[in-house]
Amino acid sequence: MAPVPLPQGACFTAMTMQIGIGWRHRHYEQLMEERPKLDFLEVHSENFFAQGGAALAVLERGRSRYPISLHGVGLSLGSAAGLDLWHLEQLANLVDRVDPVRVSDHASFGRGVIRNSLVHAADLLPIPFAVGALEVLCSNVHRVQERLKRRFMVENISAYLQWKTSPEQTLCEPAFLNTLAQRTGCALLVDVNNIYVNALNAQLGGQCDDPLTACKDWLDQIGSENVSELHLAGHCRVNDSYGEIVIDDHGSRVCPQVWELYRYAINRFGPMPTLIEWDTDVPTLDILIDEAARARAIAEQVLTVRS
Amino acid sequence: MTTLARQQQALLAALLEWPSERAVQNLSDFAYGVGAHAERGFKVYQANGHMLAERALRAAYPVLEQMLSKESFVELARAYWHAYPPVRGDISVWGAQLTDFVCQSAQLSHEAYLPDVAKAEWALHLCACAPDRETDIASLSLLTTEDPQILGLALAPGLVTIASDWPLASLMLAHLEYSPSFEEVARQLRNPTPQVVVIWRSGFQPRLRLAMAGEVNLLGALQTGIALEPALEAAAQLDFSHWLPMAVQTGLVLGANYLPIPHGP
Repeated sequence: MAPVPLPQGACFTAMTMQIGIGWRHRHYEQLMEERPKLDFLEVHSENFFAQGGAALAVLERGRSRYPISLHGVGLSLGSAAGLDLWHLEQLANLVDRVDPVRVSDHASFGRGVIRNSLVHAADLLPIPFAVGALEVLCSNVHRVQERLKRRFMVENISAYLQWKTSPEQTLCEPAFLNTLAQRTGCALLVDVNNIYVNALNAQLGGQCDDPLTACKDWLDQIGSENVSELHLAGHCRVNDSYGEIVIDDHGSRVCPQVWELYRYAINRFGPMPTLIEWDTDVPTLDILIDEAARARAIAEQVLTVRS
Repeated sequence: MTTLARQQQALLAALLEWPSERAVQNLSDFAYGVGAHAERGFKVYQANGHMLAERALRAAYPVLEQMLSKESFVELARAYWHAYPPVRGDISVWGAQLTDFVCQSAQLSHEAYLPDVAKAEWALHLCACAPDRETDIASLSLLTTEDPQILGLALAPGLVTIASDWPLASLMLAHLEYSPSFEEVARQLRNPTPQVVVIWRSGFQPRLRLAMAGEVNLLGALQTGIALEPALEAAAQLDFSHWLPMAVQTGLVLGANYLPIPHGP
């Protein structure tokens, strides 16, 4: 699919690109001292749910210097058991306190009932791209947006498990996410690395011949009007006694294929806020800044050619 | 139950129940793993859970981790993960029942002080994220001008006291601050004497020390909101003139305040 046509007279440049990094414990102090040129910082919402203490003070310092993007991992938007209202209240309190530029979580679940008790697996577990799951996800996203009184962003995940669903009740992932955005008015956070990881695993399972092409097809199917942010990260390949798999571990530099997909995504979606995520074996700050600079350079180049 | 609820229940059971063979077998009716083999993907989630359990407990229970061998701590984290799975999406609030779990553990029963160590560590963990409180040192001048019948003391965030039949303060401080020495702690454990610890937050730093004689009574009384004078009467053993400067300096006392005037019936 061709790039979405630009509005007449539009000329997107690097000035309109926002590039941020995940701000993790290792860099709390250093980043405040060095204050590198970044357009926003992303933090995991749940790490700042406390009502006081050092972490919250650090976040408030960061907020005084950079816009903050709150990215959650525990809201369990796809849970058939519904949202945990305690969790939603903590998030609402944090949003009030921080006034973030964007607030997001994942199209996944972690919460449910076993042995008549509510539990939370503390992971981003996949939901089927089925009609029933879409209803649940829409209902929960509606509720979040009503409570937060703002547009929420929902991210596509890396999935290591596929549900057995009836084909007539099942959508492809982009159609599922587009419908979610259309019904709820939420925005989509497209994690480019997650798409690639899923495609690589599909290749391992014999379901995909060409991961890059499959990812570009995926991006082509996403409505550009729904997208509000892009994520970039590294992944790893594991081959042990259980077999081979690719894992979205956020533990290395963005690989060349994901940079290629990022170029494709910027060309398709235009200037999107872009985040460099790194959560495992967090490297020195200069490496993160270098990755952010690379994202900025690529986006600038694509947007210049595009305009 | 909807299809989605059944699917989600099947995956959660496979991840959290232990032993998990039956639940994993049941999950195969609903889903298959991605990757080279069908079971490979499921193992990723299972490993994620176990790694997260270790990381979360290590953050909240660093002394317990030092006291147990690495293998025992990993085993403890996994067993606790399955016995008391998280109920919230904020993993930092998971771990509250570890004291009970350690108490019930036959494998750990030979170290009878471990439940008290776990209790103190969880109190320190909660203390770190307790709501902030303002320090108002100037308000302490009220103590020299006003009747202690109408004054209270503002105390630090996260303040709790824990009484133990074991030398709990020594056990904790030997691991957190390397004083007293482990030899001294071993000596104390041979003829254990009960100790009470005070836990509070000084600025952003959780602190722990041995309680002074009478201090627990004073702090307990002040926390109920009663006035300084009756609180001191409940703590006759405490030398208040010695205690107050130390308590202010270490952030345990943040100021003095007027108590609300009680309304008549």
